[in-house]
Amino acid sequence: MDIVHWFADPYAAGFMQRALLAGGLAVVATSVVGTWVVLRGLSFLGDALAHGVIPGIALAVLWGFSITVGALVSAALMVAGVTLVERRSRLDEDTGVGLLFVGMLALGVIIISKSRSFTNDVQSLLFGDVLGVTASDLRLQAFAALLVLGASVLGYRAFLVLSFNEAKAGSLGLHPGVTHLALLALMAVAIVSSFQSVGTLLVFGLLTGPPATAALLVRRVWLCMVVSVALGWFAVVVGLFFSYHFALAAGAAMAGVSVAMFFTVLSIQALWEWRRQAPVMGKE
Amino acid sequence: MTAHAVELAYGSRTVLTGATFTVPPAAVTALIGPNGAGKSTLLHAIAGLLPPRQGKLDVPAAARRGGVAYVLQSTKVNEHLPLTVRETVTMGRYATTGAWRRLAATDREAVDRALEALAITDLARRSLHELSGGQRQRAFVAQGLAQGAEVLLLDEPITGLDLVSRQHILDAMSAERAAGRAVVVSTHDLGDAAAADHLLLLAGRVVASGSPADVLTEANLAAAYGGHLLQIGDRTLILDDHPHH
Repeated sequence: MDIVHWFADPYAAGFMQRALLAGGLAVVATSVVGTWVVLRGLSFLGDALAHGVIPGIALAVLWGFSITVGALVSAALMVAGVTLVERRSRLDEDTGVGLLFVGMLALGVIIISKSRSFTNDVQSLLFGDVLGVTASDLRLQAFAALLVLGASVLGYRAFLVLSFNEAKAGSLGLHPGVTHLALLALMAVAIVSSFQSVGTLLVFGLLTGPPATAALLVRRVWLCMVVSVALGWFAVVVGLFFSYHFALAAGAAMAGVSVAMFFTVLSIQALWEWRRQAPVMGKE
Repeated sequence: MTAHAVELAYGSRTVLTGATFTVPPAAVTALIGPNGAGKSTLLHAIAGLLPPRQGKLDVPAAARRGGVAYVLQSTKVNEHLPLTVRETVTMGRYATTGAWRRLAATDREAVDRALEALAITDLARRSLHELSGGQRQRAFVAQGLAQGAEVLLLDEPITGLDLVSRQHILDAMSAERAAGRAVVVSTHDLGDAAAADHLLLLAGRVVASGSPADVLTEANLAAAYGGHLLQIGDRTLILDDHPHH
């Protein structure tokens, strides 16, 4: 087989092209929201939200209604739970959110355990089924990507100042409470629209991997989003390539490349710093 | 701006009670007092972020959108956010433009003037990460100035700064006063407080208010700081704990 085919073959089949498109759309939604998540230090909350959708999806599979509706309802419940924890808990916020996270995961698995095709369902739920996306899945994803993109452009100032400081956002009249809730909602939309491609366990990789890598590389928020999308697309293309040639799980390959990019850039930068500072002894 | 029997609390924790005072216009008012005295909390309330649980806090400037500008302690700002100095200062204009309206020429001019006032025009395109602590604080004060508010609140703006930054910020405060604005600033430094026009000495309540000469008496300071006062010759030394808690 010649080299051109070796590179082109993975993307020849229809289901692979749909996978490429699904991954690409997932990246747009997750990168744009993920940039705010990473810059505000809300990664843990993002991870929790990603698992919060599981019970809803499980119920949808079991009772045969729309998976998207199930996931959205579940995410809304999770957002309500998180908001309650943030407002009312006297404990550290992470404890409450962590418990919600595990609780929803447990509930999801309990529900799935009532289903006859347990293993199959759990697998596609947690790790995604990017090779099985349909045209209607893609339409939904495109809509979600547009929604997230539009909201981020319209709410850019509000999100930016909230990320700067909540009290500052309040004193400028930019409604930090509403803005925070809007961000949670956008996180839910990005997660719900992307779990089909990479699964609820791995969507976190797309939500934080490319934006965090971009944050290491550029120094403007909007540029961070642009670079993140580019890095995410790269991860999708490379992930599917490996998946095709080495028979790897596609979702995991894409999420894995996203995370690998982060640690590669981090290591190169650390090495660069270390080399630059090596002659000066005792400096960190 | 006036306050009558104002009580401020976060949930069940009462921070300031029975606060009655006046903040004069066209003057620099300094808030002093030990840690936990309610300085930052009072600034929060004046900024409209914490409604009083009791009493009446009347801030006429707050009736206009963006009428009160609030410069937060620099330690409270998210330092992971990649921003240029100009982007940071421009945020001050969002108080009047809101979340969507395009920036007009007047907005850009206000940003330019604020950058100029703090002598950071040449840093405008630089990232906040690259600046010294003093330069960053000047950017945050410029953000407050850019808002063009009648009341400017600053939470410990010159604590631990280099002399140049300190002087630029003090000059900017004087210029605001000269332009007829009310400047309210919290500080731990009694020396800085003595240079203000008006003082509020806080310790969970208003211990004293008025001119520095009236407020900075030994009896008042002893009442506010309790056992943390030390007399050395004719000087009074305050043994306060660290400025941030």
